[in-house]
Amino acid sequence: MTDTIVKLQLNQQQLELMDRTIAQGIAADRTALVRLALREYAAAHKVDAATGAAR
Amino acid sequence: MTSRPIISEFVLEPGTGKAIELLKGQILRIEQVEGGQCADFNCFNLHDYKEFMHCGRTRTVHGFHPTTGTFMWSAPPRERAMLYILEDTVGRNDVLFPRCSAYVYEAAYGFAVHTNCHDIQAEAQREYGLTPDDVHDSFNLFMCTGVDEDGHAFMTRQTTKKGDYVDLLALMDVLAVPNVCGADVMKTSNFALKPLKLTVFTATDADLASVPRTPTLASQRTPKDFKNPAIKSDRPLQRDPAYRPEFPNTPIVVTELPIALTPDELAMFKAVKRTDIYGDDDAAALRDLLFSWWEERFLQAHAGAPSIETK
Repeated sequence: MTDTIVKLQLNQQQLELMDRTIAQGIAADRTALVRLALREYAAAHKVDAATGAAR
Repeated sequence: MTSRPIISEFVLEPGTGKAIELLKGQILRIEQVEGGQCADFNCFNLHDYKEFMHCGRTRTVHGFHPTTGTFMWSAPPRERAMLYILEDTVGRNDVLFPRCSAYVYEAAYGFAVHTNCHDIQAEAQREYGLTPDDVHDSFNLFMCTGVDEDGHAFMTRQTTKKGDYVDLLALMDVLAVPNVCGADVMKTSNFALKPLKLTVFTATDADLASVPRTPTLASQRTPKDFKNPAIKSDRPLQRDPAYRPEFPNTPIVVTELPIALTPDELAMFKAVKRTDIYGDDDAAALRDLLFSWWEERFLQAHAGAPSIETK
């Protein structure tokens, strides 16, 4: 199966926050940061999504 | 606390208020004489009245009923802790309701003249040259309020007793202005106007040591940082022909960041993405996820900026 491309639209302030987070060693680059966010958020909210709980 | 030296004492009679110079390190006690009396409260930087207490930030960081261990903050762009609630024997204060005003009593009750917190505050503040327009949103001590299921604020009777008090510790030199709430035909003060006792103490070392440290940040700006530091002295508004907008961080420029999601990642994303808000706009949903994650992982305060230093 092929990858699906999602084209994030981010302004300079949002990119600055990402880059400062990356500079703390949280992720290697912007793409890795988004992937980390997806994994952690999905792990934390799977139950919420299934039950319709507020997020 | 008997070890605090008393600087002054004052009884605030019904229908009145008093502007008090409360210097850094002094405590203002607002005390029930009979019980059941709401006190409205304004507060200004004694050396710059344009810095004043802001219920908006205060309720954002401390909730609708700030009590012991919380601060009264000044408005943006200052956003400094002005006062610390050192002790509160009741624990029921309000930053939801505005001050009552003459309009309320005329429109709802038909009074041509009636005691009201706005006019009482204005009269008390006049001692220091302030005008009725300078009265700001009120911190309502001892006022028992809530929010109903429809999202409307309501007030009800209070349960305060004689001797209940709130101690406010000044973290800067302020003009503190409490007044006896003028509402005698509402539940606010249990349908009667009663006096309040004011006592100013010198804080002890233990009092001062109990105050959490608050952040000191570049964003807490003062007139020396303003493009226009002069206080406007006339009333009409006229356009400045020399004005050129200098909004920070503008223009906002959007950059595209393509993210290749593997089938597993796509499945994870589909399980949690907010289609209820973003529909089939996966880019917006993924951006929401990214910053929602960031807030959950890194934001130190549940609402607004931190009120105390966390490092």
